[in-house]
Amino acid sequence: MSIKVRVVERKGRTFLEQLYLVEVVKGMTVTLGHFFRNLLDNSRLYVRHYPEVKPEISPRWRGRHRLTRHEDGSVKCVACFMCQTNCPSNCIMIEAGERFDGRSEKMPVKFDIDLLECIYCGYCVEACPMDAIRMDTGIFSVTSNSRESLLIGLEQLMETPGGFSEVDYHKGGG
Amino acid sequence: MSALDILIILLRVAFGAFVPLSFVAVLVWMERRGAAFFQDRAGPNRCNVYGIRAGGLIQNLADGIKLIFKEDIVPGHIQHKLYFILAPMLVFITALLCFAVIPFADVLVLGDREYVMQAVPMDVGILWFLAVVGFGVYGIILAGWSSHNKYGVLGGLRAAAQVISYEIPMGLSLVSLLAVYGTVDLSAIAQYQGQLLFGFIPAWGFVLQPLGVIIFIVAAFAETNRTPFDLAEGESEIVAGYHVEYSSMKFALFFMGEYVAMFVSSALIVTLYFGSYQIPWLSTETLVAHARPVVILLMIGLPVIAYFFAGWIKKNNRTHYYRADDPRSRETAIYVSLLWSLVVVLEVILLIYLIFAAGGAADRILVLLLQIGSFLIKTFLMCFVYVWVRWTLPRFRYDQLQKIGWEKMLPLALLNIFITGAIIVSFS
Repeated sequence: MSIKVRVVERKGRTFLEQLYLVEVVKGMTVTLGHFFRNLLDNSRLYVRHYPEVKPEISPRWRGRHRLTRHEDGSVKCVACFMCQTNCPSNCIMIEAGERFDGRSEKMPVKFDIDLLECIYCGYCVEACPMDAIRMDTGIFSVTSNSRESLLIGLEQLMETPGGFSEVDYHKGGG
Repeated sequence: MSALDILIILLRVAFGAFVPLSFVAVLVWMERRGAAFFQDRAGPNRCNVYGIRAGGLIQNLADGIKLIFKEDIVPGHIQHKLYFILAPMLVFITALLCFAVIPFADVLVLGDREYVMQAVPMDVGILWFLAVVGFGVYGIILAGWSSHNKYGVLGGLRAAAQVISYEIPMGLSLVSLLAVYGTVDLSAIAQYQGQLLFGFIPAWGFVLQPLGVIIFIVAAFAETNRTPFDLAEGESEIVAGYHVEYSSMKFALFFMGEYVAMFVSSALIVTLYFGSYQIPWLSTETLVAHARPVVILLMIGLPVIAYFFAGWIKKNNRTHYYRADDPRSRETAIYVSLLWSLVVVLEVILLIYLIFAAGGAADRILVLLLQIGSFLIKTFLMCFVYVWVRWTLPRFRYDQLQKIGWEKMLPLALLNIFITGAIIVSFS
């Protein structure tokens, strides 16, 4: 059995490199080039002016959750508890109730997601057999001044529209 | 003592005390903006007062207010509260005191009196600097030890070991420099650098001591605990080192002390190696003798510089995304009009000088102001080198730091002394 031995050439042991100063000057020329490039024309900065200019989000991006609805506006969720069982951080709390519109037997009467617990893994979306929970709102900044307001309920989840068209969502983005 | 004497003493002390302090604001701003531009970022550009951002200087105001209003905590486990409180003061005061002996202009001759332009006119010069700057590290050691925190103690220890190992090459590189100048008085050293070498090269220290200047600058970086020698703080290893237990204004004193030390050591490097306040090829006597042409050149040069500066402001001070009724264009208009009114005021002052006051004492004062300007510009550029190095080079490992100090710089400094000595002996 032959072992392939590849001798890697050691760098940085020549006299000039051991002197440091030459290499220091080389490095400093590079950074000075960047400095003057940006000083003379700051439109060349590699910067997004964030709060004013938003980043582009792909439909695959896992943002804040929402609950999808049928055409008549009733919730698609059938309270099967798949998402709650799958959730690794136990942030989904569902309470099931009886459903009378004939679509199924159960529907959620309470559907709470603790956004502070959520790790945005997307397992709930994968687990859902009804395509009822999605993370396609495009909301990436989940912030608030109080803990309570980050425990969002059924109404809030249903109110939020999707951030992308149905076609884009199923294509999964460009 | 006449009224003029007292006035000049007051002005000198004010310069020595307030210029380093105002430079702290400038340096913090330069560090932020410099860091940002070196890394292709924008730097502080949001903080404003009525839409005026002053290029990011307003951020310093916000920082100051924040630090003043933070809770000043002395942790309960600290046994020596006096030392704990004394440490930041020591760091700051020693940094400020160093500047006292640095001349910022040539000796001012008014009538038959001569005024040495140092905050404290002493002829011990460089010895004072070495004594006081060595004392500054006591503040850091004291802070590390009295914090009663292992990170603090490690930071203090590192600072102590580092300063000891770098003060030796620094002192040795100074020995050969002093052999060249033949004096320890910084004013005399500055005057010496006004001469010309072979009739056309300014006899600045870095021409006379090319090896010494490198050793001295490296040692000065280590002395001020700046990157690449900032092991005393070493965020990635020992949290924040010696100031880990400090908060509020006590931390601010460490912070300001670091920047004052950076300013003072830049000023010293400029004084010793880059011609101090000297304007190249124009000695004090030449300037005084040709005050009128110099003023006329200034009057022509000022609007030209202002024109290009205004163009740069207009080009860069705008919003890079769509914004209805862009407030930055209003801001730009204010800056440009301020700049041009400043130019007009200066031109009027220079014109009045030309017509009424030319000749005599006014010439001396004009040259004094020019030299102060030259000194501050050089120091500013040297501070920029500090910022530049900080955002280019990574921190050394601790054993590398000691190795460079003892195995590379010490023999080089000794070699430099021998070469300098041989040249001086053979030419004298």
